[in-house]
Amino acid sequence: MPAAIRIKNLTKVFPVPFRRERVVAVKDLSLEVEPGQVYGLLGPNGSGKSTTMKIVLGLIPPTAGSTEIFGRESLKVDSREDVGFLPENPYFYKYLTGRETLRFYGKICGIRGRALEERTRELLELVGLEQAHDRRLGGYSKGMLQRIGLAQALIQEPQLLVLDEPTAGVDPAGSRQIRDLILGFKERGITVLLCSHLLGQVQEICDRIGILHRGVLVREGRLDDLISIENQTELILENASPDLLARIERMVRDETGVRIVEQRKPQTTLERYFLEVTGIDGKGTEAHKS
Amino acid sequence: MKAADAALDRPARTRHKTFSPTRILAISSNTVLELVRLKVFHFFLLFALLIIGSSAFMVNFSFQEQFQVLKDVSLGAMSIFTWLLAVLSTAMLLPKDIEDRTLYTILAKPVPRFEYLIGKLLGVLVLLLIATIVMGGMFAATLYFRQEMVIAQGMKDYAGSTQAEIDAMVRQVHESTFTWSLLPGVVLIYLKAALFASLTLFISTFASSWIFTVIISVVIYLIGHVQATAREYWMLTGNLTPVKQIFLGLVALIFPDLQLFNLIDDIVVGNVIAMSMFVKTAGLGVIYLGVYLLVAYIVFAGKEL
Repeated sequence: MPAAIRIKNLTKVFPVPFRRERVVAVKDLSLEVEPGQVYGLLGPNGSGKSTTMKIVLGLIPPTAGSTEIFGRESLKVDSREDVGFLPENPYFYKYLTGRETLRFYGKICGIRGRALEERTRELLELVGLEQAHDRRLGGYSKGMLQRIGLAQALIQEPQLLVLDEPTAGVDPAGSRQIRDLILGFKERGITVLLCSHLLGQVQEICDRIGILHRGVLVREGRLDDLISIENQTELILENASPDLLARIERMVRDETGVRIVEQRKPQTTLERYFLEVTGIDGKGTEAHKS
Repeated sequence: MKAADAALDRPARTRHKTFSPTRILAISSNTVLELVRLKVFHFFLLFALLIIGSSAFMVNFSFQEQFQVLKDVSLGAMSIFTWLLAVLSTAMLLPKDIEDRTLYTILAKPVPRFEYLIGKLLGVLVLLLIATIVMGGMFAATLYFRQEMVIAQGMKDYAGSTQAEIDAMVRQVHESTFTWSLLPGVVLIYLKAALFASLTLFISTFASSWIFTVIISVVIYLIGHVQATAREYWMLTGNLTPVKQIFLGLVALIFPDLQLFNLIDDIVVGNVIAMSMFVKTAGLGVIYLGVYLLVAYIVFAGKEL
């Protein structure tokens, strides 16, 4: 099976209007995303992430090099049959309701009639917007807009999702909901190319990452390989007595070249603590109401 | 299995087609819905007030004058309103989609850029058609109402006259109101607005803002109206250097000669328009519309989003 995304020696140069200068947004970038992978493309602002995404989606042509989606050249329209895209901070047509939005995107993907109605209903349920299906998008919250954005990206059942900052500006509950949805895509074998500044979230869901800096891919590889500390081991015990801990410490001291680097009580994440305190569950609703 | 799970597990894809009228229809009907929900049709109220108001001020005129003024005001207002509607509604379509990043979500689907442009333009053309039909209907209703009032008054004035005299009076009134040449007049009003919708769409493919697009469209509207006069003036003065000749040729090629669409003025005064003249003018309008759409596509196809 061909790679979900194949980028070969990609370079993109933008001319600066009214000047002779040129800005190199991406320089000789090569990477591959395997089918079923969740790939995190990281980098500071202006590092070339969005430009790379746009070239992959065929929205802008490369200056040099090539990009392919499942073996089909990105600039060809039919390569987008298998792609769903959620841009950063999208504003969909405010005058449409959630259901109308999905119908519109379904129609432009060639889905019609009962199949479209069924698909719209399923996706509204998937992203938890079935109660808000007849509300206009102008009245949706940021989190709801991101979720309807995810639903439109999924309308034609793509095998590749390109998500640009999918949780930007979303509250912790909404953010967790979106993260859970992405994990659901991963379970079902959908390839995800994710751009995010939230490194904690990327760490939770990505299999592989690439770090772009000034248009150059400075690191690339499996997340576990890149961030694990090879010569250290983490051991988390439950209900360990002080006596047992003292024995372990003694055993470690007796070994040559081995030492306890740190001993502390594990902490919950601030996100989990926040959700616990506010009583909001994974679906974004207050637990006592559900 | 829950419906939500099915949403991810069951494919709903169809084979990609290079050209799909369904996709164009989806984009155009969405454009019509967008403009309707923006309440652009509120100007109908203004149009109704204008023609009803103008007919109320004409009671002291002869009926021929009344009908002529009514036609003049109504067709003139229709021409300006459809043109304004074409320019203002088209100018914001593309920049708004780019600004809101909605365009990315559409073009990231298997939608060719030419289908997107055709869909948008078609949406505006449908809107203009609805506007022309509604305004035409309001104009026809007002004209009919005035005609019946004049005939009723005539019946009173002709009391005791012979049937032949009454018939002549009624025929004279009818000849001053509805004539077949009104229809080509309305068609030309529509085509002029459609031409400007296409031109505005073209400008919006490279313009930096919708205000810039509107300003350029207005400037072209003015050039289109004065270019024939300017050409005639230079030709009459005999002061036509080769540079001026090339300049005039370029202006005539790029900008539509809108004076040609002023056949409406002849129609209002009751002149019969030759079919060949109408077909020629309408054909020119359609050609300009097609050329502007083609150039819009060439610019838009190479646009880096």
